[in-house]
Amino acid sequence: MVTVFFQQVLNGVILGCIYALIALGLSLIFGILEIANFAHGEFYMIGAFMALFSISYLKVPFLVALLIAMAGMAIVAALIERAVFRPIVGKPLINSMLLSFGLSTALANLALFFFKADPRKITSGLAKYRFSFQGLYVTGERLAILVLSILLVLLLAWFIQYTRTGKAMRAVAQDRVAAQLAGINIRRIYSITFAISGALAAAAGTMVGAMFFVNPEMGFTVVLKSFVIVILGGFGKIRGVIVAAILIGLVESLGGGFISYAYKDAYPFLLLVLLFIFKPEGLTGGKQS
Amino acid sequence: MKSKFLAVPFAAAAAFILYILPRFFSMDYYLHIFVMSEIYAVLVLSLSLLVGFTGQVSLGHAAFYGMGAYVSALLSVRFGLSFWVTFWIGGLFAGLAAFCIGRLVLRLRGHVLAITTAFFGVLVTVVMNNWIPVTNGPMGITGIPRPSPIRLFGLDLAIESRTDYYYLGLLFVLGVLYVLWRIERSRIGDAMIAVRENEELAKSIGIDTMKSKVFAFSVSGGLTGLAGAFYAHYILFISPVTFTISESINMLVMVIFGGMSTLFGPVLGAICLTVLPEFLRMAGELRLVIYGVALVFFIIWMPMGVWGTLRYHLAARRK
Repeated sequence: MVTVFFQQVLNGVILGCIYALIALGLSLIFGILEIANFAHGEFYMIGAFMALFSISYLKVPFLVALLIAMAGMAIVAALIERAVFRPIVGKPLINSMLLSFGLSTALANLALFFFKADPRKITSGLAKYRFSFQGLYVTGERLAILVLSILLVLLLAWFIQYTRTGKAMRAVAQDRVAAQLAGINIRRIYSITFAISGALAAAAGTMVGAMFFVNPEMGFTVVLKSFVIVILGGFGKIRGVIVAAILIGLVESLGGGFISYAYKDAYPFLLLVLLFIFKPEGLTGGKQS
Repeated sequence: MKSKFLAVPFAAAAAFILYILPRFFSMDYYLHIFVMSEIYAVLVLSLSLLVGFTGQVSLGHAAFYGMGAYVSALLSVRFGLSFWVTFWIGGLFAGLAAFCIGRLVLRLRGHVLAITTAFFGVLVTVVMNNWIPVTNGPMGITGIPRPSPIRLFGLDLAIESRTDYYYLGLLFVLGVLYVLWRIERSRIGDAMIAVRENEELAKSIGIDTMKSKVFAFSVSGGLTGLAGAFYAHYILFISPVTFTISESINMLVMVIFGGMSTLFGPVLGAICLTVLPEFLRMAGELRLVIYGVALVFFIIWMPMGVWGTLRYHLAARRK
């Protein structure tokens, strides 16, 4: 029982790290463009397909496929931002919400049309290595995913905190007009934001595809969950989002394992309700935008 | 003044057209689309009370729609109650649920509110799917009876054909329009618009903004529940797939399509977006792709909706 518990905790942490990648991208887009991008789940799905096809057609190793998917999705996301989202920056939230729903519907069904609904698995070739520690098992694949996602999150945190572009992004998130007055090219920042978010989503999609399956409908439930994470963690707070992501991963993994699997999708909502009742200021406190 | 002068003959003509419509389109297929347009008109009108007038976005309205449908259907299937009773209980139940949820979530704003209500919707579908002893799970509820015949003003009314449903639905839409029209012209209607325009300001002049938001949310949820009850006793079969988040999104799209903050816009949106997708059936598998792309372009080009854009251009021309 104790080992099962810790096994579920480990799985929950891995899941949480992947959720963190998606939620951080979502939170970036929200903070900088003030857009709720419901098509983010489709970025994740398309990224997973890019990795899947790079492995099956180009015969590249898992890591290279991950990089290809991230690069490819960064370009696609930047193009989508330019064509679709830029005209509606600053419009009421319901417009951006419905626009991204439209985009999400179109992309998911396009993928369904071309790739069909049957689930496929990304073969990383790392699953054959197994590590055991005190009766806990972890495959090489899951270990790689854990390490990679932590690395990516740290890289993002460093980028936003210390680079010139990262500082410019934070400035735009704080005050768009003032940032423009200070000479920041906000259009460039918008494109970069989407590119980074797209790349992170693609990385998450590839990892989930290796752990579970890739199919055209994988995006939508993930995007709702990621929004809950962003709300729990507080908009624009990297640390809060990471904590919330791991919390949701744990709740899902433990709740699904020990309480009831059927009600798995309801747990994030219950968590959200509890938060509103007991800690309305957000998980990590401070001002909520 | 000219518009008021024209209003009476215009309304009479509209009433005549609505009355005569089933005579011209007597095929079941057309009548079905008409009845569905009526149901959507009620849904979209009730949602526009919340989104258009009060400025609060809900992504969970399909849950209230489903609650109304399930409560009404279960009461008549299990306990043999008549539609004329269960219809109101369904609406009341959804309204009460909306009141409770509203009290909890309406202190949130904007995106956070939208996403929280979306998750509430997910919660309700999860319950519908898994509480099998009551809801029969994904199999849904079958054998829902039609409205029983009643005597009104010495007339025996039986709701049997689609034409009957059409007239009943018309009555329903008019009733909802009347309720919303009264709300719009009341003090609480003014308070709702004040909340939409500037919540802080509304609060500072002594409007209980929470109360007006909860009121709008409850009435909106209740009317949506009534529409659900009507739907259940029209289709005679309900299952959780009808009440998912995509239905909530669909309702919101209709609100935007027609144009918010008028009573005519939502009706227009409901009719257009019930009729137009029927043409998309030809596109087969690509139907939803076309729908999604059309939605994207629509939001970019007509952010105020069809009716809103039309009014804007008319107003610009008058100047």
